[in-house]
Amino acid sequence: MTQSYDFNIEKIKNLSPEEKISRQKTLDLFYKSGFPTKQLEDWKFTDLNLILNKNFDTISNDINFESSNELKTIKNFEHNCIFLTNGKIISTNFDWEEKNKILIKDFNQKETTNLDTGNTLTLLNSALSSGGFSLEIAKNYKLKKPLVIYNYFSKNLKNKILNNKNSIKLNEGSELVLIDYSDGNTGGNFIKNTIEVVSIDKNAVLKNILIQDSKSNGHFYKYIKVSLGDSSNYENYILSSGLKLNKIEMEINLNKDISSCSIYSALNLMEDQHQEIKTRINHNSPNCKSYQKIKNVLNDKSKGVYQGKIFVEKIAQKTNAYQLSKALILDDDAEFDAKPELEIYADDVKCSHGSTSGSIDSDAVHYLMTRGISKKEAIKLLINGFLNEVLDKITNNELKIFLEKILEKQINGH
Amino acid sequence: MLKIKNLKAAINEKLILKGLDLDIKPGEVHAIMGPNGSGKSTLANVLSGKNGYEIEGEINFDGMNLNDLKIEERAQKGIFLAFQYPLEIPGVNTNIFLKTSLNSVRKARGEKELDTLTFLKLIKEKAKELNIDEKFLSRQLNVGFSGGEKKKNEILQMKLLEPKLSILDETDSGLDIDALRIVADGVNSYKNKKNAFLIITHYQRLLDYIKPDYIHVLSAGKIVKTGNADLGEQLEKTGYANLR
Repeated sequence: MTQSYDFNIEKIKNLSPEEKISRQKTLDLFYKSGFPTKQLEDWKFTDLNLILNKNFDTISNDINFESSNELKTIKNFEHNCIFLTNGKIISTNFDWEEKNKILIKDFNQKETTNLDTGNTLTLLNSALSSGGFSLEIAKNYKLKKPLVIYNYFSKNLKNKILNNKNSIKLNEGSELVLIDYSDGNTGGNFIKNTIEVVSIDKNAVLKNILIQDSKSNGHFYKYIKVSLGDSSNYENYILSSGLKLNKIEMEINLNKDISSCSIYSALNLMEDQHQEIKTRINHNSPNCKSYQKIKNVLNDKSKGVYQGKIFVEKIAQKTNAYQLSKALILDDDAEFDAKPELEIYADDVKCSHGSTSGSIDSDAVHYLMTRGISKKEAIKLLINGFLNEVLDKITNNELKIFLEKILEKQINGH
Repeated sequence: MLKIKNLKAAINEKLILKGLDLDIKPGEVHAIMGPNGSGKSTLANVLSGKNGYEIEGEINFDGMNLNDLKIEERAQKGIFLAFQYPLEIPGVNTNIFLKTSLNSVRKARGEKELDTLTFLKLIKEKAKELNIDEKFLSRQLNVGFSGGEKKKNEILQMKLLEPKLSILDETDSGLDIDALRIVADGVNSYKNKKNAFLIITHYQRLLDYIKPDYIHVLSAGKIVKTGNADLGEQLEKTGYANLR
C-alpha cells in the first residue's frame, strides 16, 4: 500500500459514540487488506489499487454536501425527480404521482444492509457511508411517469471518496421506471462507492437505466444487490460510458418462481476509460428467466471487462438463462476481457452463453463510403448500429428517442 | 465525362487490367461484357476507389483526376457503383443510412441537407417507383433481403443520389424476370442527356431492356472489341472464345 489515506470517522456527522467505535473497527478491517488488487479473482481485470495509486495523491472522506449551482434537467420527457448532490438528497418532485404512495428519505445509516460481498469496498462503505437514499413504492402503485435520479457533484471533490448506501423497495404489484442519471465533471479525480439494495416483491416490475451523460474524472464502483419475488421482473440498461473508471457489480437473486431479470449494456469507451460489468445471477427458484446482452465498443486505449456468472441451484428446474457479450475493438491498444461462467446444479435447464470480439467490418465501411459517407461517419453509423440494438426492448417511445440521443452523444465522444 | 487511358491495375502483385481505354460521354450507355476473370469487377472496384489496388494510367472524370479523390468524394462528385453483391449491414437502419448518404452528398454539393420529414416523403416516392415495400426501409440494411430486393435497393440509392455516372456491376445476376424489368425501368427512367451508364454484365438479357450505345468486350484485362448493340446478340451466339 503506497497510497496515503486520509479516512476519518470524525468527519461523518451525527454519529453516536457507539457507532463511531463500530465504524472505526470496520475501517481497521479495511486497512488490513486495502483496496482490491488483481490478485483477487473478482478483480483480476481491474486492479483497483493500482489504478487509484496512479491517479490519486491521497484519498479523503472529508466532504460537504453543498449543492452544485447548476441543476439542469432533462426536457425530453415528463418525469419525477430526485436531486442528489454527492449522493445526498437535495430535493424531490413527485408532482405526477399520488404522493402518499411514494416514500423517499435519506438512507438511515443505522440500518445494516447485511451484505457479504467479500470485497473491501463494502467494508469501506460501511465505515464511511454518509449519504444515500431510501425509496419505497406502495403496494400496487404503478408510477405514471419515469423517475429520474439526478446525481450531481460539488466542484471540490478532488481526491475525495463518496460512500453512499441506497435502498429501493417495490412492494407487491408496483411498477417503476428508474433512471439513474449522472452528469457534470468535477475537474479532479474522485471516487464514488455506492451500495444499492433493491427488493422487488411479488408481481412488481422495475426498469433501471444507468446513464452517464458526460465525460467525468469519476472513479465509480457500484454494488447492486437485487432480490426478486414471485413473477416479478427486473430490467437493467447500462449506458454509462464517459467515466474514467466504472465497475458495476450486480448480484441478482431470482428467489421466487417465474421471476425474471435482464441486463442490457451498450458502452462506447474512449481514451483510457476502464469499465467493468460483473454480474452474478442466482437462479434460486424454478421457472425463472435471466437474459444478458453486453455490448462494448473500445476505442483508443480503453478497456472493457465483462464477468458474468449464472448460478443455478439444484431446485431451480426449468431455468432459462442466456448470456452474450460482444465487443468491437477499434484500436490496437484497446482491450476487452470476458469471463463467462455457468455453475449449474439442476438437470432440466436451458442455459447458453457466448462471447465474441472483433474489429469493424472494412467491407461495410467501404460500402458506406461509396455512398458519399466519410470514413468517420461510416464508422459511427456502424457503431451506432452495433450498440443501438440494446434499446430494442424499450417500449416508451419518448424515452427510447432520448436514450438513442444519449447513445449517439457517447459515440461522438460526449 | 469519363476518360480512361491505358489503365493498369494490380492486386496482390497480380496484374488484372493491362492497359484499358474507355471514353464515355454524357447521355451514353456503355456495356462491358466479357468472360469470368477478364477484369470487369476490377474495373468497377477501381472506379469506385476500393483499397488494395495498385493503379497506373489515367482516369479523368469531369475534368478531375479520379485517383486524387477519396472514395466518398467520388460518390459526392457523381460516381455511383451498384454492387454485384450488396452488403448486409446488421444494426444499421436502411432509412437512416439513406438519409445520411443523401445528406452527405447534398452537403458536398453545396445543397441544403434534408430534414427527416422531407427525406421520408422523398424516399417513399422513390421506393414506390421501384415497387419496393416501405417496410424494407425501416429494416436493417439488406439484412434478410432477397437477391432481388438487394438489387432494387441499389437502384433506389442510385435514383436518390442522382449520379452523373452509374456503374452497374452485374446488377442482373440473381434477378428474376419481373425484378429485372423493374430494375431496367428504374434505370431507363433515370437516363437522360446529362448522365451516363456503364453496365457490366455477363449476359445479353439485361441489354434487352437497357439498350446500350456501345458494347465493349473485355478480355484478359483489355478491351478487345467494341461495337453497337448488335454485338451483344452476336456474342450470345458465338461466345467469347474466338475473341480471346
